[in-house]
Order: sequence, then C-alpha cells, then structure tokens
Amino acid sequence: MKAFRVLNPGIQTTIQDLGRSDMMKYGIPISGATDRRSFLIANLLLRNRDNVAALETTLQGFKLQALRTITISITGADLDPWLNDQPAHQWTAFTMKEDEVLHFRKRRRGLRAYVAVQGGFDVPVMLGSRSTYLRGRIGTLLREGETLNICPSDSEASEEGLTIPQEYRPNFDWTDPIRVLMGPQDDCFTPWGIETFLNSTYRISPQCDRQGFRTEGPTIEIAKGPDIITDPIPPGSIQVPGDGKPIILLRDAQVTGGYAKIAVVARVEMDRLGQVMPGDTIRFQRVDRQTALNLLREEAHHLDELKALLR
Amino acid sequence: MDDTYPIIRPVGEDSILVEYEEEVSLEVNRKARQLAFGLEQASCPGLEEVIPTYRSVVVYFDPLRVDSEVVRGLIEEVNAHLVEIELPSPRLFRIPTVYNRTHGPDLDRVAEYTGLTPDEVIQLFSVHAYPVYCLGFICSLAYLGGVPEALHVSRLPTPRPFVPGGSVGFAGPQANILPVDSPSGFNYIGRTFVAVYDPREFPPTPIRPGDYIQCPAVSEGEARMAGEKHLGEFVEGFQST
Repeated sequence: MKAFRVLNPGIQTTIQDLGRSDMMKYGIPISGATDRRSFLIANLLLRNRDNVAALETTLQGFKLQALRTITISITGADLDPWLNDQPAHQWTAFTMKEDEVLHFRKRRRGLRAYVAVQGGFDVPVMLGSRSTYLRGRIGTLLREGETLNICPSDSEASEEGLTIPQEYRPNFDWTDPIRVLMGPQDDCFTPWGIETFLNSTYRISPQCDRQGFRTEGPTIEIAKGPDIITDPIPPGSIQVPGDGKPIILLRDAQVTGGYAKIAVVARVEMDRLGQVMPGDTIRFQRVDRQTALNLLREEAHHLDELKALLR
Repeated sequence: MDDTYPIIRPVGEDSILVEYEEEVSLEVNRKARQLAFGLEQASCPGLEEVIPTYRSVVVYFDPLRVDSEVVRGLIEEVNAHLVEIELPSPRLFRIPTVYNRTHGPDLDRVAEYTGLTPDEVIQLFSVHAYPVYCLGFICSLAYLGGVPEALHVSRLPTPRPFVPGGSVGFAGPQANILPVDSPSGFNYIGRTFVAVYDPREFPPTPIRPGDYIQCPAVSEGEARMAGEKHLGEFVEGFQST
C-alpha cells in the first residue's frame, strides 16, 4: 500500500525495527533502531506491535509527502519537524492528510528521530528483520522520489492525539556520565589508564555513524596489547586501539574484532548513546553488575507503566 | 590437567565470555566450537545467542529472564563434557579463483617480501586448504588460518580504503575472502566471483567454522563462469590427513 513519497532523503534515513536476533554467529550485527526506547514509544502511540518497522532519520533535511491520509508519530531527537507550515507534534499521534508534507528542518536536540506509521513500513524481511544494514547490503538509504509502502495494520485503530507525558520523554542530556561495566579486557590497561578513562571528558569525533564513534580526549595508557586474539564485540563495547582513544560501538558495528575492550556500556545507556553527535562530550562512570541490572529492571518497569497508561 | 582454562567472566550485564588457552590453534578452537555447539543444543530459557571465535565463546542472555549464575552453571556443565561433543563433519569448499595483478594488487609485494616469484606465490597459496576458525567481522567473513610460513607477510602499513568483494588475500598466518567491498590491510593476490555471502538466504553463508577452504587457480573466464554458481556447488566432504 503506497503511503509516502520521499521529497528529500535528508542526511541519512533508513528503515529500522528491533533488529536481528541470533545472527551474530553468522557475522551479522543486530542493527535495528539506535534509540530503541524512542522507537518502541513511536509504535506504542499507534498501537502497533513492538517490532513494526519505522523510519530512522538523522540530523536534518528529511522531507516526505503523504499519498493518503494516515496516522503517524514522531519520537526520538527533536529535529524541528514541520507539517506544511506548522510545527508538527512530537511524542504524539497525529494525522497527516493526503499531499501534506512533513519536513525535518533543523536539529535541536539529539541526533536521530523516528517516524512510525500504523502497520509499519513494508520492505522485505531479510535474516529475520526489516532493519537496514548498509554494509551488509541489506536495504538502502531512502532516495529522493522513492515511494514508501506500508503494511496493512492488524491492530486496532490508533487514536489521534494520544501523547506521551513529559516525564516519560527523554531529555538527551549528557551531563550525567555514561554508566559502564568494566571489562572484559580492562586488564590490558594500566591502573593509570583506567583512572584516565573514568575521570576524563571525551569529545565525539566526526567519525560517528550507526556503527559507532571515535572519541577525542586523554590517551588511555595500555599495559599490554592492545591487540588481542579476535573475539566477539558486544554492542556497547568500548574498545581502545593503539592510539589510546576509546571507540564506542553501536548496533551496526562489526561483530568480532581484535582490540581490547576496556568496558561495555550498561544496556540502559545504549539509547542515549544513539543520540550523541560529533562535538558532544561524554564522561564514563563505573557501575557494578547489580546496579546495571537494577537500572535495566527500572527501565522495563517504566516502559510497562507507559504501556498501561496509553491503553 | 591444567584447570586455569576456561576462564569464565561476565561481560556487561547480559553476556558471559568463556576463554580457552590464549593461542590460535585448531586444538583450542575446537574447544570453543564444541562448547558453542553444546550450548546450542541445551535448552535454557533466556539464553539468546552463542558466538564462537578463535579461542573464546560469548553467550548472550536476557538478564531479566535468566540469572547469570544459571547461565554460568550451564556453561560449566557443558564444558565438563566437552570431549563427548561431536561436531558436524568438516567440509571442503574449493572456490575457483583467478590470480593476477589486476585482481591481486599485492601479488608483487608478496613476491618481493617472500623472495618467491609471483607464480610460486600463487602455486603455494592455492594448493593448500585453510581451516575456518570462525565467522564474524562483517557479512559472514570467514577467518581462515594456516597460511604456510613461506608466505607470511605483514599487513599493509596503510589499509586500502577499497578492496572489491571476492578478493582473496592473507596477512601473517591468516587469510580471507572479502565477502563485500571493504577497506582492508590484507595482501590481496586474487579474486573469486562466487558469492560467499548472500543476505537473501539463511544462513547468509553456507560456510561453517570447522570447514576448510581452498582457492584453486583458474583462468579469468573460468572464474567468471564459476561466479554464476552457488557456493554450495563447490563443497566436498573433507578427508583429513
């Protein structure tokens, strides 16, 4: 079912869902929405199932025209979306009428916004997911003039005006440090190197995409290596190559590698990290496993609460 | 018996890393593959993914569904019976490859470095079958090992920003066939046109860790004709010697 025409694909717009499972052993990353929570909420607003595919658009410039009257939602980064000549709602379900144009004008906070539609975007399922994975030749960037299809919806009609209360919207603030669990190869670094890592501010370098980002900041002193026998790289790994500057790996990252990993970010920090952009600065804070687990439970509870609220 | 290994340690809050001896050898790699295979057979709710590499295995689980101690216990149990775990029989993929300067930009570099002629380099490389230690990196890249010592050449000082998919090359004892166009620091001496990766299929490559790959030398025309075929057509049972 034709639903939209892409007037301008913007900097980078792809179709994403929750990603691939059980594919890393075949050398395929999980991919999927970089800010999973915002993605889930976009679907929640439309009473879609969790895993229904949405658009992930980056920075600015994305412009699309509705080819039919359709209910959508926008979540994630604030990229100043406009519907024709009016600011568009964010974190709220609303109707786009046939021929209306949605335009993301300028980044204000965060990096990646989500556009969900009832039923979800219709592209072939590859290796169990509709998520685009550019390096793996799965899906492509959206192109100018392209028509986007949606799947027929199997859920009940969505409610225009359904909205997320302010306290459930992320603020994309990086003053709080990114919580990390040390290891698995923190023994490749000197105690001074670990101190440097935990007490310095790192600036996100221009090399920043869905695979991850490099950082600029104080050099982390290496005790041995940093080359190790190639082993798996969990998403959220912080690896330190020979130049001593941490590289943070996101959901499209290679699944194996040979640099020592000083730490892995707590699961609950993945969404926030998916919204940092070049020039932002971050710090790291060590937490223990139990704390990370409690945070994860809290977040799951938070999302359940929101689901109940919107029902 | 050395009971230092395996080392079992948590990674983040949702995975466990199991490490066998710190070396690249088929003997150690076999343990990692056996453990992964054993864990795949075990039924444990909340267990999500098991990924074997050279000497280690990472086990992912949903920490909200299963306690990490339960997963650790399962790992220890499977490890205790490792020797009894029968792996699938290895297979040999013989993938027709064209070797020349056009498709192998590093052929002369390797020849110079090793003191062999380009023809000797091709002959020596293409006659051997290389074991697949693991799949990973991107697009089901098979990590191959066992390149003869006479061919050991270090990586390029600066990686090439673009190497075409299908390129066949090596560095040190490692070799690979690039699944897709990619930057790489390996020394590439030839190319195959047989697709080693296809995301429209499941699994995206028929190659499994434990299999062997040989890249016999053929003419450009034969290599291109082979490219019309599916990788599965080049598989043979492997007779270990």
